[in-house]
Amino acid sequence: MTAAAAAVTGRDTFGVFGTTATLLVTDPGSLPAARRLADGELAAVDRACSRFRADSELSALNAAGGAAVGISELFAELIDEALRAARLTDGAVDPTCGQALAELGYDRDFALLPGTPARGTPHGQPPGSPGRFGITRTATGHAAGHAATGSAAAGHLAGVPGWRSVLLDRDHLRARLTGGAQLDLGATAKAWAADRCAEVIAAQLGCGVLVSLGGDIAVAGPGPAGGWRIRVTDDHAAGPDAPGQTVAITSGGLATSSTTVRAWARDGQRMHHIVDPATGQPARGCWRTVSVAAGSCVDANAASTAAIVLGAAAVAWLRDRSLPARLVREDGLVETTADWPHDPESVQPPPAPPASGPPAPPPAPPSPPAAGPAVPRT
Amino acid sequence: MRRDRARSAAAARDDGLRKVSRLTWRAGAAGVVCSALIAAAFGHDVATGNAGARGSTGHRGRGTILIPAQPPAPAQGSGQVNSGAS
Repeated sequence: MTAAAAAVTGRDTFGVFGTTATLLVTDPGSLPAARRLADGELAAVDRACSRFRADSELSALNAAGGAAVGISELFAELIDEALRAARLTDGAVDPTCGQALAELGYDRDFALLPGTPARGTPHGQPPGSPGRFGITRTATGHAAGHAATGSAAAGHLAGVPGWRSVLLDRDHLRARLTGGAQLDLGATAKAWAADRCAEVIAAQLGCGVLVSLGGDIAVAGPGPAGGWRIRVTDDHAAGPDAPGQTVAITSGGLATSSTTVRAWARDGQRMHHIVDPATGQPARGCWRTVSVAAGSCVDANAASTAAIVLGAAAVAWLRDRSLPARLVREDGLVETTADWPHDPESVQPPPAPPASGPPAPPPAPPSPPAAGPAVPRT
Repeated sequence: MRRDRARSAAAARDDGLRKVSRLTWRAGAAGVVCSALIAAAFGHDVATGNAGARGSTGHRGRGTILIPAQPPAPAQGSGQVNSGAS
């Protein structure tokens, strides 16, 4: 056992938001209090932005038919964060993608979708346990669904209204959806909640803490010697030695987005849960998995999701922002940006030839849609 | 008569110098006040920009994606947790 591992003796794993939460603290005596704090924060986020609670603020806003709705400070913060992610990614991460995803067939609990690979009931959750924030995470059935489901059934293709159709007045705590938009905070709320839990626990208990909500990871406070060791891989529920790379972080957050998880087949085409807002279709870029480290988990998550959508342009986009990232192509080749540590075990793409040399080969085309989960592994 | 005129000219010159001096001080003071106002107005944005460039958890820059205070370091063995899609 390494020194870092020995230093962390407080660990708790539990189900939340339709996925697995893991809580690590450097002071094991603080674990029960840390769990209570996390439960309180997560319950507040759930009340604010669950799509599958009729009493949530998000449900009220989506049902308001374009009228302005009074909202809480917390919900305003969550909407603001989603709009910020959209703005900073030039719309690649859009909180109005939920309806398009429902129209692609992801309109019920993921385990109930036709054409889904067997994956088992995940992560300590009871069967059918819904993802709380939106269909980009998991969804309940039609009966507990949302307005998008009804419109899809009627054959109306609403696509992606765009994040500018979400109007937020933070000063007066009011929000309004225009153009028929339906809000889905699945792309940012979970990561924001991880940040929030880590901040609150570190501030109130004074210990180092790592909060993982379905693989969206935030750390705060003084961490263990050598940092928190994290295995970046396709699926957060994979085993500790799953194909991937182990890195250590000491602050901020780390998030991974992948097209290999929550994928299903429809009309012979492979679908997945990351929608390109420009097309309303699953992103057809060249990456199957992207991991990003950032100053916060919500920023890391926005960048990793945007990278999947941006495709080949993601490498330059991430480098321009000095964001350390690990991008795995569909064929298993790995590219890294900024200060992401080199992984000697990964297969790197060949170096670019010198300017005076022969022309560079064309980039690998995106994989054609496949009706199964058969993707190469690193 | 000539002496009176000379005295009057000297007084006028002194008066003018006093006015110029007063104006100079006022202009200087106004400059200081303006500088302080500009610093107050833009200092906030500068601080936000710096936080956005590199910061720690909980101080999110509004105008940019925060890069981590320290980049990930290489590590051996299995992880304490996995980061993957859910």
